[in-house]
Amino acid sequence: MRLLLAEDETQLSRAVSAVLKHTGYEVDIAANGLEAVEYAQRNAYDCMIFDIMMPVMDGIEALTQIRALGDVTPVIMLTAKAEVEDRIGGLDAGADDYLTKPFAMGELVARIRSATRRRENYTPKVLSIGNVRLDKEQQELKAENSVRLAKKESELMEYLLLNSEKDLTEEEIFRRVWADDPQMDRGIVWIYVSYLKSKLESVSADVSIIGDREGPFRLGKRFAS
Amino acid sequence: MLWYYKNMMESIYGIYKPYLDRIMEQIEGELTAFNEEVKARQGDGIYEHLLARVKDEASMREKCSRRELAQTTENALTVITDSIGLRVITRFIDDIYEIVEFLRGLPGVRIAAEKDYIRHAKPNGYRSYHVILEREVPYEDVRGSRPGRYYIEVQLRTIAMDSWASLEHQLKYKKDITNQKIIVSELKRCADELASCDLSMQTIRNLIREGEGEDER
Repeated sequence: MRLLLAEDETQLSRAVSAVLKHTGYEVDIAANGLEAVEYAQRNAYDCMIFDIMMPVMDGIEALTQIRALGDVTPVIMLTAKAEVEDRIGGLDAGADDYLTKPFAMGELVARIRSATRRRENYTPKVLSIGNVRLDKEQQELKAENSVRLAKKESELMEYLLLNSEKDLTEEEIFRRVWADDPQMDRGIVWIYVSYLKSKLESVSADVSIIGDREGPFRLGKRFAS
Repeated sequence: MLWYYKNMMESIYGIYKPYLDRIMEQIEGELTAFNEEVKARQGDGIYEHLLARVKDEASMREKCSRRELAQTTENALTVITDSIGLRVITRFIDDIYEIVEFLRGLPGVRIAAEKDYIRHAKPNGYRSYHVILEREVPYEDVRGSRPGRYYIEVQLRTIAMDSWASLEHQLKYKKDITNQKIIVSELKRCADELASCDLSMQTIRNLIREGEGEDER
């Protein structure tokens, strides 16, 4: 799983990231809110941890912008103990949880586990981009026409939709969509991407999946060639 | 031979009936030959099966009335375009488009109209490719021209689309079906699942063929 940590105090961010990496997460570090927004637009994360007080752009503003882009990745805010207002502001801006500084590393890791476990509850039942809608419950992909997707196709489509306009590697997709079947050959990703490519085209979608065989893959607006 | 003469006079197709049969047989033959040629090249034919018919007397008369047209030979051959009808059933979606291109290239053929209900499915889930050909033939037509021009309607669909259409057809002509509403929405869901399956099979065939290409290299 991949995390984004936005924290301007280098010593703290280095220490936290070392522990998280040791726990088995991949961690990207942003030094301020603006960098965090840029990272979030570029990469797919399973959870993001934002400090509130940061130079250039604070954590609440960064979170507001990320949510405005349609990103529903779980976010945990780090707040100073005294600042109740910050906690309220953070939650209202779309944070899923918060932790007051100073905190125990064990608690942060537990909250990350909890946030990523409950990911399902956070994401909406219907996702859309351009003229395309994915109804997760019905496994229905719809634009001008509709088709019914197989379970894995629907899960892959959901992951692509949640991370549209981002490059996703074959490995990232595999680990998310085939988490329950790690023995599966990685080549399955290309086959399912191929299914979705043809299905998007068949419903006359104005988005398509860009990328060939081993990836990376990106769901985005179809450009007139 | 009087009865024969009388029958001829009564036919809504008038003296053009034998031409309709010949035009139908010609295009049927061309499609069969194309199928054999593809089979020799790829091992599998371009279509699974082919049906051709000249619309029978009663249906044509009924269609004229339904469309509020006088039951005349002229209407049957120039306003209504499916006096000659073909249905081509394929295994894979891409085969449909390949056959359409083949039809487009036949001598004397002009596409009078085409509707792609595969990329633009009807709201109830109906999927099929309809094309109306206008073909120049060495026989006289109802306008008195020679060479004459006749319409041929071709419907192309996959096996899955075809079995769906036959099920939907049954629904259309039955009234008072219990749970009508659920059945209509379930049929729509089936159409979307079948479409999805058709696309998956097409994709797998493409992947297999790409793989073959790589082996040869």
